[in-house]
Amino acid sequence: MKRRLLLLTFIFGFVIACSKKEESADAPEIKGKIGTTCMDLTNPFFKLIANEMTKEAAKYGYEVVALDGANDSAKQNSQLSDFAAQGYDAVFVNSVDSQSIGEGVKKVHAAGIPVFSFDNQVLAADAKDLVISHIGSDNFQGGEVAAAAMMKATGDKGKIAILNLPESSSCILRVDGFKSHLQKNNSKLEIVTELNGKGRRAESLSVMTDILQAHPDIVGVFAINDPSALGAHAAIAKAGRTDDIVIVGFDASPAGKQAVFEKKLVDTPQQFPRKMAVGTVEAFIKHLEGEDLEKKIFIPCEHYDYEASVDDPSREAEQW
Amino acid sequence: MNLRLKSIFNDYGMVIILLVLCLVFSLLTIQKESPDSPSAARAMAEEIIRAVGPEDTGIALGAKNTSSADFVERVMKELRDLENPPTVKAVVGEPRDLRIALEELAGSDSELTIMVATGDTAKWRILEQIPDKFPQFASTKITKPEEGLTSAFLKPSNLLAIVDRIVVIAVIAIGMTLVIITGGIDLSVGSLIALAAVVSTTVMKAMGGLDAPNHAIFVGFAAAILACGLTGLLTGAVVAWLKVAPFIITLGLMMIGRGHARGVTGGFSIYQVPDGLTWLGQGKSLGIPNTVIMLLVLYGFAHFMMTQSKLGRHIYAVGGNREAARLSGVPVRSVLIFVYALSGVMAGLGGCIQASQIATGDPNMGNMYELYVIAAVVVGGTSLAGGSGKIMGTLIGAFIIAVIQNGMNLLGMKDFLQLIVFGWLIIASAAFDQLRRHGGLKPLLSSPS
Repeated sequence: MKRRLLLLTFIFGFVIACSKKEESADAPEIKGKIGTTCMDLTNPFFKLIANEMTKEAAKYGYEVVALDGANDSAKQNSQLSDFAAQGYDAVFVNSVDSQSIGEGVKKVHAAGIPVFSFDNQVLAADAKDLVISHIGSDNFQGGEVAAAAMMKATGDKGKIAILNLPESSSCILRVDGFKSHLQKNNSKLEIVTELNGKGRRAESLSVMTDILQAHPDIVGVFAINDPSALGAHAAIAKAGRTDDIVIVGFDASPAGKQAVFEKKLVDTPQQFPRKMAVGTVEAFIKHLEGEDLEKKIFIPCEHYDYEASVDDPSREAEQW
Repeated sequence: MNLRLKSIFNDYGMVIILLVLCLVFSLLTIQKESPDSPSAARAMAEEIIRAVGPEDTGIALGAKNTSSADFVERVMKELRDLENPPTVKAVVGEPRDLRIALEELAGSDSELTIMVATGDTAKWRILEQIPDKFPQFASTKITKPEEGLTSAFLKPSNLLAIVDRIVVIAVIAIGMTLVIITGGIDLSVGSLIALAAVVSTTVMKAMGGLDAPNHAIFVGFAAAILACGLTGLLTGAVVAWLKVAPFIITLGLMMIGRGHARGVTGGFSIYQVPDGLTWLGQGKSLGIPNTVIMLLVLYGFAHFMMTQSKLGRHIYAVGGNREAARLSGVPVRSVLIFVYALSGVMAGLGGCIQASQIATGDPNMGNMYELYVIAAVVVGGTSLAGGSGKIMGTLIGAFIIAVIQNGMNLLGMKDFLQLIVFGWLIIASAAFDQLRRHGGLKPLLSSPS
């Protein structure tokens, strides 16, 4: 009995000790730890941000612990409690839900740990001022970029559809920017339907299939990210309508860039995850240096169309 | 006596695994922490007195909201009690506050001779940059108090965080244990969490939102628990009368519940709720967190019901052999309806707690929770075949899951590794329990069941 217990303890300890060693091997002098939780680490966009943050923070002697929020706001809140208990030096948060993350942010702040948000803002009324700085794409402006691309590609007339993701504040802003740009320019494009594509390929494929049934006469689709846009493309290709429906995505992900090059998408307003990751780490470092920080640091999005894709080494290297 | 001890040991052997896990995580999360004892504060005060002359100034640095802020306060108190207190400025806040304090000092004639950087403030980069940014302070002595060792896992705030993390799953696991003991399963509980959370918060929103009176919270919770209880009643009725497999009916309700949760809210989360909502999941009564009280009361009651009451014996009987139970006069249908209704009520309560914990009703809450609940029950020693199981075992099972999750986060384990280790630890816990029950591998291999 006792021996078995000892053995079990040893095995548990060994597994955990191994995992610790593996992480600390590449950064010999560690000053502290930064906890970060992303809404979905299976999404390559966030994976890249987490990796870039890890690299950038290591330059200053900080280790980044990146956890997956797995699209579960309650899980993310308990991750923030754990960061607070462990007394990390900073927490970078990319919330699943801009409102419910507030309770976790309050806990981290109460433990004296500076909180930074990236990509998705914290909107909970009693917590948003606790965030030292937000670093993210200018999603509203990115939506405007998408609208400009859509107007150009469709000749500014006809019916269009939007595949949105209302769970995410950054995606809401994209759609808002898109609509605002159409309105400001007195566009003749008519938005006939707006459905939730879940930001994923499979779901967007089926939603788009249904849209084609309900509105066979559409001339364009704006999808709030590339997976959604590519799902829409799959549906449109299956229906044999690729020649008369244009698709605008968002992100300029590796797959999105390739799709633009193959003329599956006409444009995918480019986000800069590296800038976002580096910017977040820099904001923390500036905070440690006692500098004044902007409450919101926005990184503008840029057009990524066929011309941009032709000689783009990042596309060929399958990089963001 | 010895026999009795042995039987307790056999019943709740999972306690050992829980304790082993706690021990391992306590040891692995030992880290340095700034001191906060009175003697350390006195020593620090003495060092300051030695360094700060009559014309000089010193700075005691603490990080906002941390123990270092309290330590600075202690040091300052020691200094204030002196006859001729030296000029020492307490700077408690962010690095920015230190910069501002230094800028102010740079304008005065006083010389800054010592700066005490306690706790996390020792890592502030502004300290390294003083020679560049404030050349006049380049020779200032920066001292960092000796750090002591402490285990992050064993910090009271962390232990309470473990309870907070598991309370929803543990509460629902009570109902699930009963369902599984009758030989059934309830897959709908994860969705019912979301349903309860959005129903309760929707009611609160309708009754005034942020300014809703406190009774709106109770009305909201009651509506949510009632809705989930009725769902459970329906499940029980279908299982008892139509003899539909519980797996299928609850799988259907899992989708229906999720769909309604999204339908009620239009897919958005509801955050227009009164402040009082957080009382249940975050508040305290008599200094004890409500979540802890709730777990103790609910588990105490369920334990009593399962071990002392006729209903408890009936539940075991239905799971052991339904036909035999029926023939010996157990009201099988009523028992089935009761356990599923209770499971629904518990899921409803769990959803209310979850909504209270994050002050939001999110229709995507509780995704996959049914599996964690089932895992807690099974790790706690209840057989999926029905007929056997212990309520207190389930509580321990739930804590095992929570401790593993918490410990891995504390260790900063990478995400993919967490999944792998978590999976193996669950399997290892359950396998170890089987070995222990049967007294080793040999008897287990030779026993027919």
